Amino acid sequence: MDYFFFIDFLQSLTDGLLFGTTYALIGIGFTLIFGVMRKLNLAYGAAALAGTYIGLAAFLSFDAPPTLVFLLSALGSGVIGILVYYCCFRFTPADYPMASLLASVGMLLFIEEVVIHASHGMPFPYPSVFRDATIELGDIWIRGDLLFVFGICVVAMAVLFWLLYRTPLGLATRAVSQQPRAAALCGIDPTRVNLLTFGITGILGGIAGAMTAAAVGVLSPIIAMGLTVKGLIAVVIGGLGSIPGAIIGGLLVGAAENIFLLLRGVTERDIYVMLLLFLFLVLRPGGLFGSTAGRD
Amino acid sequence: MKLKAFIKAGLLSASTLAMATAAAAQDKAVRIVGSGASSGVVGIFGQNSSAAMAAAFDKINEEGGVKLADGSKAMIETEYYDDRCNAEEGISVLRRIASTDALVAIGPTCSNVAEPLFGILQAQVDDAGDTGLQFPVFTDVAIKGGLAGISEWVFRNTPSEAKMYDDLFAWIRAEHPDLKTIYGGVEEDFAHSRFTWYEVMKKAAEKHGFEVVGEAQWLLSDTNFSNQARAMRRAEPDVVAISAHPFTTCGMLREMSRQKIKPKVLVGLTSSSSLETLSGCPDEAQGLTIPTSFAPVNDNSKAAAEAVVAKGGQMDLHSASAWENAMILKEVIEAAEIEGTPASVEEDRRKIRDGLAALTEADGLLGVNVRQPDGEAVKPFVFVHAQGKGWEVLHDPKS
Repeated sequence: MDYFFFIDFLQSLTDGLLFGTTYALIGIGFTLIFGVMRKLNLAYGAAALAGTYIGLAAFLSFDAPPTLVFLLSALGSGVIGILVYYCCFRFTPADYPMASLLASVGMLLFIEEVVIHASHGMPFPYPSVFRDATIELGDIWIRGDLLFVFGICVVAMAVLFWLLYRTPLGLATRAVSQQPRAAALCGIDPTRVNLLTFGITGILGGIAGAMTAAAVGVLSPIIAMGLTVKGLIAVVIGGLGSIPGAIIGGLLVGAAENIFLLLRGVTERDIYVMLLLFLFLVLRPGGLFGSTAGRD
Repeated sequence: MKLKAFIKAGLLSASTLAMATAAAAQDKAVRIVGSGASSGVVGIFGQNSSAAMAAAFDKINEEGGVKLADGSKAMIETEYYDDRCNAEEGISVLRRIASTDALVAIGPTCSNVAEPLFGILQAQVDDAGDTGLQFPVFTDVAIKGGLAGISEWVFRNTPSEAKMYDDLFAWIRAEHPDLKTIYGGVEEDFAHSRFTWYEVMKKAAEKHGFEVVGEAQWLLSDTNFSNQARAMRRAEPDVVAISAHPFTTCGMLREMSRQKIKPKVLVGLTSSSSLETLSGCPDEAQGLTIPTSFAPVNDNSKAAAEAVVAKGGQMDLHSASAWENAMILKEVIEAAEIEGTPASVEEDRRKIRDGLAALTEADGLLGVNVRQPDGEAVKPFVFVHAQGKGWEVLHDPKS
């Protein structure tokens, strides 16, 4: 192993782990909705993208500062998340999980097409912070903007944990997630909890979308499918329903992607990431932290 | 009194008949349709192409339409069919178009659609053993080289990238004799980008004495380019050529800027000489040099560009071809003396095909387009570079 390879390996690992936090945020969104409703929201990545475009609109219209752009992206995505809940989950029959799943697929395509029509599919510059800042640790460069992305994602996760474990709302969410019927008997309104979950996960998705666009410096509708697929892989690896699992899964996918890119090139990179997914599905279907306990 | 009444009635009948004949001429129409991706992530190509076609046909119609075999004039009706840059949908769209009274199609926009789509057309005219579709296609956007050879019903008015990049690298060699090395960056999963780097840019660069010191590959939806840029930085190339579409071109240019990679010359893909690149990464794209077959350098091209903008599109090298195709088809239809009746659709299609095949040159926005026997074109072009908020002509190879 020569010196350059070692440096490249470390660099790829570092970049991958930093970028993997965006996958982790998307993974958390998938897993939180699944935990509460036992349903997959496949429109999640597209809603995150649409929210990011709301922030972009502010940037393009009145040159809004990055902080405001990120905030609007997150809030916009939260609002779209709530709309997705009403359109695809609130009124679909609970006994037919396929109905909401397919409705969310339809919503994914719908949102994507709306975004493409509105933007004409053109890439637009997206503001980023610390773009030119670099921390040099010998031959390893740590990108300032990726470090910022990492920091924001960690803060978002910390706030989520606080919400879930230190507030009445979190208690209600966890109660609905574990025993919805018992939670309802205790006076918790599952519809309200579901609605808030979609809003909160929407905000997380918006942060992930904003941070992805900030890391690239450009926003394009192309990123929606990538966010959806990588987020799903992260939750399968981490364990559907487990928040720590989604975080570890996201970081693992980010790191694996970059390492395989280095070792096998771009044309084979996704083959190995998908192989990783396949291995988990076959050998450990519950993922790294998946719970085996059922609920009522 | 009786005579007066008779004359009045005669005049009335004659004028009614004349008006009816005029109305019938006004009602005459021929259909020329477009197809390509007007939705999806590369939908901008189809949207611009559709706008350019519509603007060109409006101009033709305002000037009286197209002359038919019987001397009457017909308006051109048009419609744009969306194939979403998907091969199956593209084939289905063309079959649908062929089942209507459309005489010819302009399109498609994506090379990955064009290649299989041309395969369903009859390979050689008058080959009784070949049951392929007999329908003329005049391509404006799908630019991957050599595709017209697939069928004799296919004609293309796309620029010859081989010629463009050969001239570009020859010019760079002459302007910068001290530059020795080149590094390529390619969007690996897009037919046009891949073909252009491996078969066109790389070969042209080597031919003109540049040593290829490395290649970086990425995919159309990639968002992280740090590995690729690191390898590029280490190779310290004099010239960097990026064969990718605007989104990843911008992503890579930003990463290059972050890693302080400053090649002396930066070359881009023909399709990137568009508004998309300048809206995506205006700062990083500065100086990006691209050969293009469209630039608003004369009155004709300026007027055409304005007409396309008025239709909601943008004029670039691709949509300029759609405009030119519309104008060329008008000339071909008139020269071929088509009848434009429901009964003559198949015969008219054949006449248009033969008319296109017989062309040796055609007027284009930048000058004369030379028509090749294999259905391809060699079009005039210029080298542009990104300066400020627009593309400026850097060099005209004809000068």
